[in-house]
Amino acid sequence: MLKKILLIYLVLFISNIQSQLRIEIKGGAEDPISIAIVPLEWNLDSPQDEYLHQIIKSDLESFGEFKVLPPENMLSFPSSKEEVFFKDWRMLGVDYLVIGRINVSDFSEEIITKYTIFDVAREKSIHRGSVIGPVKTLRKIGHKVSDKIYSRIQGIPGIFSTKIAYIDKPSTDDPNFNLRISDIDGYDSLSIFSSPQPLMSPSWSPDRQNIAYVSFEEGTSRIFLQQLNSAERKGVKLEEGINSSPNWSPNGDKISAVLSKSGNPDIFIYDLSKDTWKQITKHFGIDTEPDWSPNSKKILFTSNRSGSPQIYEVNVRSNRVKRLTFEGTYNARGRYLPDGKGIVFVHRKNGVFHIATQNLRTGKIRILTDTFLDESPTVSPNGNVVIYATKDGDRDTLAGITLDGKTKFVMSSIKGEAREPAWSPLID
Amino acid sequence: MNITHKFIITLIVFFLASCSSVSMDRTNDATAISATATGAYSDTGITSNNILYFAYDKSDINSEGRTKIRTLAKLINDNNLSVRVEGHCDERGTREYNLALGEKRAKTVAELLIINGVASDKIDTVSYGEEKPASPGSNERSWSQNRRALVKTF
Repeated sequence: MLKKILLIYLVLFISNIQSQLRIEIKGGAEDPISIAIVPLEWNLDSPQDEYLHQIIKSDLESFGEFKVLPPENMLSFPSSKEEVFFKDWRMLGVDYLVIGRINVSDFSEEIITKYTIFDVAREKSIHRGSVIGPVKTLRKIGHKVSDKIYSRIQGIPGIFSTKIAYIDKPSTDDPNFNLRISDIDGYDSLSIFSSPQPLMSPSWSPDRQNIAYVSFEEGTSRIFLQQLNSAERKGVKLEEGINSSPNWSPNGDKISAVLSKSGNPDIFIYDLSKDTWKQITKHFGIDTEPDWSPNSKKILFTSNRSGSPQIYEVNVRSNRVKRLTFEGTYNARGRYLPDGKGIVFVHRKNGVFHIATQNLRTGKIRILTDTFLDESPTVSPNGNVVIYATKDGDRDTLAGITLDGKTKFVMSSIKGEAREPAWSPLID
Repeated sequence: MNITHKFIITLIVFFLASCSSVSMDRTNDATAISATATGAYSDTGITSNNILYFAYDKSDINSEGRTKIRTLAKLINDNNLSVRVEGHCDERGTREYNLALGEKRAKTVAELLIINGVASDKIDTVSYGEEKPASPGSNERSWSQNRRALVKTF
């Protein structure tokens, strides 16, 4: 019975993979790491398939760092260490080799995927892993294996099991605004909230269980918190004027946001347990777009207090403000890199809006993107990649670029009008 | 810590790093649950009598706009109406910054209405930033139509 379910599922799955174009690499690293993922042996009646191979391949090749050897170029298909002839793989120019097998668990409708990663030059296994899960979580299983391969070889966490939240504006297919969550390749997209009035600014809780966002369902902007596994929603204490731009604190007990109850937009902190607002910045100009520093001590924000939008940092304890950007007349919507040593933001040059980074020690800025109207950058939790909103003609869509600027990709699998991406934390 | 200790620790770290690691992960088929806005705000029944336009990244009103607001203030007072002023922006610039700019536009219009004799408790302001464009294109023609404040009466 399970085998039958499995087969049906796999047929559906492969038709899905073929209909959804994934990440398109434009450019790419000059010297990618060569890796062979031997199609894992299935301990089943169904023919040996390449599903996991496909998932892992597209994950690892996403950001141009890896080149996956096509199975048709392989000289053998080992599934145990004894069957591995390192000389063959060296001859094929392979740096790393992954083998494994999939077994059906005897007691439940789950599959066990066991795999080993080899360093081909050293002829040694560098990791043995297993993933257990229901058959229909095959994509998740693939992402888990990809994460482990990535972290063992690159030395930083893999991000293939993380999620992207984004806003979808009304289209001919759907008259509503939608808050959606998908895999980082745009696959498995799900609307978690739908409304005829605008939705804005999703922000993940650090435990990945909740999303804060802005909804106009009551006629004005209000911050809502929504629990993902129950769809339970709660409106945050409403104040006069703008209630917007929520950003969760690193330890999850507070939310920085923008209120204009004092007459103009300022940065405030909402305490979740006390249900109170505390004012952090006080200026007659516009202060908006807060982002908490990874160590919780500072908040990045945009202000036009100098005459044009620039990025500032405020110390949460002393409320002391420091200006960070000086180049150009439009720098806004900053986000800290996970190490806190740099920021990524929207920078206008010659009337065009780009995504740029700035090293906070040297103050040096670097423009990453060259398209028109790029905005809302969000950084991967391992600090390697930025996904941002851009235009494809008149259509709103999402694109990404590695922080080294070498690999760009467009997320063509995302349909509709996508904007305001927010990258989830690492935790599952 | 002496040099020998450091050396031993370095050796251990090196040994561990070169060692094969083992991991065990689990996946589950939990997915998020969807919700829908119920009883969402609707502006049917409200009529938009006047539109004020703005320059890029600006919230000040020109003399033509001021004349329009004067006429509108009289209409509001004569008929004892309440108004809702909506501020909007074009798509250029970041969304939250535009939400703030849209509020500034709405408030400028509200202040001018008050100067022209409308009671402040008859006026409500809201900013939609760049979220509700009047014209969808990415060109100056659309942008100039989107940088606006609407005075809606009810």
